[in-house]
Amino acid sequence: MTILKLPTFAPSTLTNAASLIRILALAFIAGAAISSRLFAVINFESIIHEFDPWFNYRATRVLASQGFTEFWNWFDPTAWYPLGRVVGGTIYPGLMATSGVIYNILHALHLPVDIRNVCVLLAPGFSGLTAWATYMLTKELKDESAGLLAAIFIGIAPGYISRSVAGSYDNEAIAIFLLMITFYIWIRALKDGSVLYGTLAAVFYFYMVAAWGGYAFITNMIPLHAFVLLLMGRFSHRLYSAYSAWYAVGTLASMQVPFVGFQPVLTSEHMAALGVFGLLQLVAFVETIRNLLASKQFQLMLRWFLIAAGVAGGLIIVGLTVTKTIAPWTGRFYSLWDTGYAKKYIPIIASVSEHQPTAWPAFFMDLHMLIFLFPAGVVLCFKELREEHVFVIIYSVMASYFAGVMVRLMLTLTPVVCMTAAIALSSLLDTYLNVDEPANPDANGVKETATSGAETPVDGTISKKKKKGVAAAAAAAAVTPSIATKAKGRSSAENGIFGIDTRILVIGNAIFMLVMFVLHCTWVTSTAYSSPSVVLASRRPDGSQNIIDDFREAYYWLRQNTPQDSVVMSWWDYGYQIAGMADRPTLVDNNTWNNTHIATVGKAMSSPEEISYPILRKHDVDYILVIFGGLIGYSGDDVNKFLWMVRIAQGVWPDEIKESNYFTPRGEYKVDDQASEAMKNSLMYKMSYYRFNDLFSGAPAFDRVRNQQMPKEGPKLDYIEEAFTSENWIVRIYKVKKEDPLGRDLKTAHAFDGGKRRKPSKPISRRKALAA
Amino acid sequence: MRLLYGVLLLVASLSAAVAQVTHAELVRLAAANNGVIKLNPVLYDALTAPNRQWSAAIQFTALSPQFKCSPCSDFNPSFKSVAKAWSKVHSAERDQHFFATLDFLEGQDVFKRLGLSSAPVLQFFPALEGPSVRPNPQRLEFSYDFSRHGFDAEELAKDLSNHTPIPIPYTAPFNWQPWFFGFTFLVLSLVAGRFAWIYLREIISNRWLWAAATVGLTLVMTSGYMFVQIRGMPYAQHNSMIAGGFQNQFGIEVNLVAALYGLLGASYLALILLVPRIPSPIRQRASVYLWTGILFVLFSILISFFRIKNGGYPFKLLL
Amino acid sequence: MQQRLLSWLAITLTVLASAWARSSAGDKVLVVSDAKLEAAEYSQFWDGLKNRGYELTFRKTSEEAPATSSFDVPSFSHIIVFAPSTKTYPADISPQSLVHLLSDPTQPTNILFVLQPSTPSSPLRDLGREFGISFPPPATPLIDYFNAVSPSNATSLLLTPPVTPHTPGFNGGDVLYSGVAHLRSNNPLLVDFLNAPPTSFSADPLEPADVIVEVAASGGEGFWAGGRMGLVTGFEVLRGGGRATWVGSLDLFRNAATAINGKPTANNAYALALASWTFQETSVLRIDSVEHRRISESSPRDQYRIKDDLIYRIHVSAYNPATGEWEPTSQIDDMQLEFTMLDPHIRTALSPVQGEKGWYETKFRAPDRHGVFKFIVDWRRKRYTALHSSTTVSVVPFRHNEYPRFLSSAWPYYLGALSTSAAFVLFCALWLLGGNEEEKKKTQ
Repeated sequence: MTILKLPTFAPSTLTNAASLIRILALAFIAGAAISSRLFAVINFESIIHEFDPWFNYRATRVLASQGFTEFWNWFDPTAWYPLGRVVGGTIYPGLMATSGVIYNILHALHLPVDIRNVCVLLAPGFSGLTAWATYMLTKELKDESAGLLAAIFIGIAPGYISRSVAGSYDNEAIAIFLLMITFYIWIRALKDGSVLYGTLAAVFYFYMVAAWGGYAFITNMIPLHAFVLLLMGRFSHRLYSAYSAWYAVGTLASMQVPFVGFQPVLTSEHMAALGVFGLLQLVAFVETIRNLLASKQFQLMLRWFLIAAGVAGGLIIVGLTVTKTIAPWTGRFYSLWDTGYAKKYIPIIASVSEHQPTAWPAFFMDLHMLIFLFPAGVVLCFKELREEHVFVIIYSVMASYFAGVMVRLMLTLTPVVCMTAAIALSSLLDTYLNVDEPANPDANGVKETATSGAETPVDGTISKKKKKGVAAAAAAAAVTPSIATKAKGRSSAENGIFGIDTRILVIGNAIFMLVMFVLHCTWVTSTAYSSPSVVLASRRPDGSQNIIDDFREAYYWLRQNTPQDSVVMSWWDYGYQIAGMADRPTLVDNNTWNNTHIATVGKAMSSPEEISYPILRKHDVDYILVIFGGLIGYSGDDVNKFLWMVRIAQGVWPDEIKESNYFTPRGEYKVDDQASEAMKNSLMYKMSYYRFNDLFSGAPAFDRVRNQQMPKEGPKLDYIEEAFTSENWIVRIYKVKKEDPLGRDLKTAHAFDGGKRRKPSKPISRRKALAA
Repeated sequence: MRLLYGVLLLVASLSAAVAQVTHAELVRLAAANNGVIKLNPVLYDALTAPNRQWSAAIQFTALSPQFKCSPCSDFNPSFKSVAKAWSKVHSAERDQHFFATLDFLEGQDVFKRLGLSSAPVLQFFPALEGPSVRPNPQRLEFSYDFSRHGFDAEELAKDLSNHTPIPIPYTAPFNWQPWFFGFTFLVLSLVAGRFAWIYLREIISNRWLWAAATVGLTLVMTSGYMFVQIRGMPYAQHNSMIAGGFQNQFGIEVNLVAALYGLLGASYLALILLVPRIPSPIRQRASVYLWTGILFVLFSILISFFRIKNGGYPFKLLL
Repeated sequence: MQQRLLSWLAITLTVLASAWARSSAGDKVLVVSDAKLEAAEYSQFWDGLKNRGYELTFRKTSEEAPATSSFDVPSFSHIIVFAPSTKTYPADISPQSLVHLLSDPTQPTNILFVLQPSTPSSPLRDLGREFGISFPPPATPLIDYFNAVSPSNATSLLLTPPVTPHTPGFNGGDVLYSGVAHLRSNNPLLVDFLNAPPTSFSADPLEPADVIVEVAASGGEGFWAGGRMGLVTGFEVLRGGGRATWVGSLDLFRNAATAINGKPTANNAYALALASWTFQETSVLRIDSVEHRRISESSPRDQYRIKDDLIYRIHVSAYNPATGEWEPTSQIDDMQLEFTMLDPHIRTALSPVQGEKGWYETKFRAPDRHGVFKFIVDWRRKRYTALHSSTTVSVVPFRHNEYPRFLSSAWPYYLGALSTSAAFVLFCALWLLGGNEEEKKKTQ
């Protein structure tokens, strides 16, 4: 019994049409994914965003202009002055190599594309590929319709867009694609037991290792999957060959990345993979013997041997870790488990805003309705519980924990949420788009068996949906093939939905949700995630947009008005931008590898001038750059980051810098009259508020970030002088004075220049000591 | 300056005259109480005399239950164990440094004199005369920074070691108790598991049990549980249950949001799994309407909840 | 550096073309004097300078022109300040602008300051403090009953300055000094030329006894007396080689002082000798060029590798006032090179090269530490021009293909890899063969 009579087609026509629609849908999804990431380019311009991308961009330019070998050997004397940075050995080159290859291909095709545009548009481009990879993986979990839904979800979910808008040229831009494709091929390898696919997974794993430090997620997910399958008693030769191929080839390949080196055999993060590899060998060995030998005692012995060998292997790894042969977990990873660890021991890691834990609104903001479809999808995975479903379940548990601990790891959660949500939604659509009605038990036991269930696409509701644009592409494709296959199986089932109104209600509700989702994603992407943070936008009272371009103004000032080799000191957040936009050597940058050097800068910023000055001179600092938001209320400024500078400096010089000295006696962080002496004398405070009072022409100055009234008397500077202040005072640049030519300290020299008289000195009696 | 010293000396000698507290007496008192001298105002003045040839770490605390000072009782064991570790040092060095404690009940006027309004405070008094005077940076009086080092005995020993004549030989006592219980528990559960294997196996291999655990975990995690945990957010505040600000939340919000997500997910599951199994068309239709309604209402609640957090959010449903 | 060399070169050329001025810095001299000062009273000094090729321009402190600099380019190479009594100066010769002119890093203006005890509160006294020179209270000239010309006039002293190679032309003899003493701080840039006699002190000449009584009561504190006090003090600024000299006696330069009681004094010779040091005629050195390269190569690089063997060479010239030319000198035997990143990693002696006059060199091996290094030569000796040179190079680690390729300690790994490959081939061969047999069995 069906609720609608649908036209019949030949099966071949149907499959052809379905695959055509699928391809079209995928193409549209990729288009939607790419175009929703272009808000940044349209609102601002084609520009590299934020901080790390500036380094990646600079490195890519070196790669494009000097070739890969030179890039590999690149020693950058302008970073971490004067220590320099061995760039080739301290980065994941995958991203730069990718855009270098694309750049070269385009040029070989005589398309003279600027390397900057390649870099800006790389992330959107790869998001299309990510959508495809997610489609493939979800197809393995359920079917094509779920796959298409997952593809559109990942295509526009803000959780992934936040890291892949045009211009955010960071490792994550390609890493999520690699993550999904590696997982997909792993699942394929596991399903087929194919060594070829296992090797292919290893190849993509290698690409991932070369591209992102987060590869450790794969390194631990796949072994965990294998291990859980073992525990569930699902050992198979498919698992054995897929895992062995992946591990052996993948580990060898990953060691070819200079930055990774011997880590895969020496650090704790990689030990799980090694352990599971060993365990699988043992289990496979035992299985083989068991199949060959029949004796029961022998099998029992084997089982004990297996257990003993496993325990021994585990003990060896533990022993090696204790004796430090295997490096313990690095701070970054360890802080994921022991959440108080970073704050206590590595303030640099804790100071990064994207390493903070995630509050619930961030989850909803990034995933909207997917976040509650997620548990539903997980339950559906439990319903089937094939090997790939086990994988998704493990993935969702791990990723949701990690995303809760660290905001930036929302990125790894997003794909699994999209997949499970797609499974849930497509199951819903499957159920309610099925035109077959079950036999009505009330209708006098007349059991009609529906026969023509297979040929029933598209009634009024669906065509309505088509007008809904993006959502329609996914949903429409969801309908056609699945009904074709599933309905046959279910046609005689007693379960099903009665009536057409129920169907319209549920489907309508689902479509409504999808529309809300699309609107939400568009809104979030355009307002929250498309700011380059190099250029800021604000609204004027009349609603028009006001572009604040202080950063570039200041960086270009540095580039054009200072000698090429003048060293610029700033807090590490701005190191990459100065190197990229101003092209000047910096003391510290966002590659926070040397804590002491950062602490040195922290100390210079938090000490009084006369203590900072020798530090500045020792490091050949010519200019100091500070970010000050007090005038226009830009809250991410250096005074708000100042406590981290103090804290980090205190870690190295606990006797000289004390955090408590920078608070008022009542424990408040103040910059006004009540600010502590240490605070008022610190170089950072002085540089931020130098001549700030002058702006208010007599009226008391007011800091709009901290909402405090400044003291009447502004700070004075003797050892440095103001060189440049940007339009909105966000960036202030100071020049460090040279030693006084007359050998005075600069405070005296400055007083003399100001026309002040020095106190006359008197001869000291040489006989005083005797007299006393 | 000299005058001040003179006055202080006078005061000290007066009090010393009263109590006749000598260095030997202090050593005896310390030895009598596991290395910690129990102070009273007289002893305090003797111990911190301006001509002292020894250094001292004095814990100002309020241990009696009427003050309800839980940090005091948190810190006291650490202090005691470090002092005990010090009492094991060879007497030549040991008698150059004392650990002492002064309870608020015993020495209110000392607290008042020092202007202490909170407890616990650990103050270090360096030696001012004699052979154990230390070079400059270690010569200052200072109070131990709890906010930085915490109440841990190990940290305390490490920090104080910079100022004592020789480093404090403190090693964290190996805590046998959890290991012992853990091992016993493991053996017992193994034995029990061996006999109850048939039932246990049912439980362990019950996939819906695992499903419930997994879903529970993901719900809790995606509702910001870790945020509350790491930041130590309160469960709720008196006047409001919802914390202001986008990057902020209270403990109770974890429950609310997890419940919302759970119910929304459950209503989808009901529509997918349960509803098609209902054999009667009328009851089925009713439940479809019911679940869809629940879905819609809950979603509206969720969005309005989100609008509280994020004032600029432009979309709204029923609420 | 380049600019400085060029300017020197230009100056040298013009000097050679015009006449032969003795100074390495230029021959234009501005004499700034008090309004009341009679220039003719010092004509012997002026003539002496003119004979040495200097062009003198006179200007009273009450006048505004000629300016000391136009558009921030100094107009004169040297300034003589004969204005101890003026209380306010025009803006372009205010203490601040004099310091500014003197400390110009590329084209410094040398200055000769002359004071007089009668000066009540000249700005020069305050200016002296900036150099690290402090003066006794006003109107307290130097008094010495042991070296006085006559007991009745204890403020006119006959002193014997030391003969040094830095003050050529002065070959000993007595100098009549009547003026003020000063106290030098421990500023390392100060150079002492003439100290007060140990028996001298500063006091009001009308009531010297009062001062001594007063000071004796207070245990000697604040007593301006003894051989520590300076009378003539030179000063060399930190960068640029500008020189200033403080002389406490205007009378030293007076025509009348060239003879006392019919006996000639060495005053004029000494004054001109002081001027010759101040105007950078003597003890002037410069670095002409600096070279660095790998020992095995002939041209320099921007970056070297760790453990490279490097050679560093520096060429130093001294100015010869007799010929007015720069001549290479190998006289310096205590020059050092530092190879510095934050701290000196290598500090080694730069020794003169045999047979190549003016060249100093050192060979060393770059440290096993990559980073941005500087070759620093910083040679500072009193009375000589300071030599300072800093060259930045980076020291990079090995390139990826510069490491040793085959390691003997890695043989187990090579063997392991080879044996595994061999075993794999063997296994494949056997497996393929075995497969055939199985099929045969099946077909049978």
